[in-house]
Amino acid sequence: MGTVAGYVLKKRLSGNKRYPLVLMLEPLFRCSLACAGCGKVQYPPHILKRQLTPEECFAAVEECGAPMVSLPGGEPLLHPRIVEIVNGLVARKKYVYLCTNALELKQRLPEFTPSKYLTFSVHLDGQREHHDFSVCREGTYDIAVEGIKEAVRRGFRVTTNATFFDGADPGSVRGFFDEVMDMGVEGIVLSPGYSYDKAPDQNRFMGRARVRRLFSAILSNRKPNWKFNMSPLFLEFLMGKRNYECTPWGSPAYNIFGWQRPCYLLQEGYAESYKELLETTNWNEYGVASGNPKCANCMVSCGYEPSAVIEGFGSLKGFLAMVRGTFSSYRDENAVKLLDDSVPQANLVQIEKPERVLEETNA
Amino acid sequence: MTAEVQKYTFEQVEALELAPGSEHEDLEGWVPTLATDAELRDALEKALDYRGDVTLTLKSGEKIEAFIFDCKNGATLAESSARYYTPAAPENRKVCFAEIARIEFTGKDRAAGKHWEDWVKKYNERKAAGETNIGLAPEALE
Repeated sequence: MGTVAGYVLKKRLSGNKRYPLVLMLEPLFRCSLACAGCGKVQYPPHILKRQLTPEECFAAVEECGAPMVSLPGGEPLLHPRIVEIVNGLVARKKYVYLCTNALELKQRLPEFTPSKYLTFSVHLDGQREHHDFSVCREGTYDIAVEGIKEAVRRGFRVTTNATFFDGADPGSVRGFFDEVMDMGVEGIVLSPGYSYDKAPDQNRFMGRARVRRLFSAILSNRKPNWKFNMSPLFLEFLMGKRNYECTPWGSPAYNIFGWQRPCYLLQEGYAESYKELLETTNWNEYGVASGNPKCANCMVSCGYEPSAVIEGFGSLKGFLAMVRGTFSSYRDENAVKLLDDSVPQANLVQIEKPERVLEETNA
Repeated sequence: MTAEVQKYTFEQVEALELAPGSEHEDLEGWVPTLATDAELRDALEKALDYRGDVTLTLKSGEKIEAFIFDCKNGATLAESSARYYTPAAPENRKVCFAEIARIEFTGKDRAAGKHWEDWVKKYNERKAAGETNIGLAPEALE
């Protein structure tokens, strides 16, 4: 946190208006899953076989200068030189989040070295049945959990990351938070799904109003053991307690095509350098205020968490709000009603609902 | 892109319950007419968005199998270019719009099909038949 705070303050003091916080470094697009909500992996085989070299990864990291590097994909553990890439990033003192479906995590752990700079961010979209259904393959939850437990046992930093779509059962999500905290993870990362126009399923992306109701139900009346590895202000944004404009340059994306324009989610061509991306993208055409329909439902962390982080570390008011958010349980009786009223969609796997009462929280 | 902005007001965006999904355009096998500069630019914009290879025939007669990932639109076709990967070469390449005589959407559209409803139906059928370890697998890399 101190590194990011210092970085934001330094950028603000230098008058820099557009700077990156997290580099989304996609070393390859190949994946071992075929999730219906993912629009990242639909490419011809000759594209899926390509991958960034470690040298290309390091050059991108040094070019943009972000203090944090997320390694999504594709599945990064399928990259034959991923250990070299991770070690090189750690040597550069970058905070690395290796995003993995964890199908191979347990077997690959001996190749990695625990470090404060390295976190395995394991894709888990909910409780066992929900996750398996979401990633379109049975058995993946159990394999991922085995990987998580082994990583924790070996002293690695581990978080889970979840994407939620329309039909998510907020009660089950809260049960899922209990489960993952019991596994010993450091925190939970979560985001609503983005309506990728290349995703096979185009009918389950939530609009903003529904996102806010869902996350209000999920994130209000928090239990004391829940930890989120995210800005508290971003979580308030998801709950509808504050509004932000998108900061697309906050999480620039680099992959085999170059610097993705304008952001990690939209794909309107590629710049050949980070400088070119910043200087030649018409940023006014993106974000909710632009009215761009491609941005209309987006509340995804790669665009809005940088806005929250910049507010949190950029002013005393923002910092105090962040501190308050860190220690608040967000007691809200209306959210309990939202939980009770939620009806999971019939086409999704049903998990028996536990009785929900406000007293179960630390409120 | 510019023509699409300002489609929604802020209030409309905030009130959205479900995000309108994209209509998938069936482009596989399409051979656009390229009688005008505008038609060529439009076809290349679609090729940029297409998740499959296209075959470019240049005015020189050369044919190129290409996955187009970036287009730079200049004032004239001579000032405009597309970058692409071709299956046989490790590096990406560039072609000037003015050199292109024909575009064919020859490659398989990798973003087509595999709807959620299909997965749910298949899952339920296989579950009812007593199968275990049901799942979708990524396509083979051929």
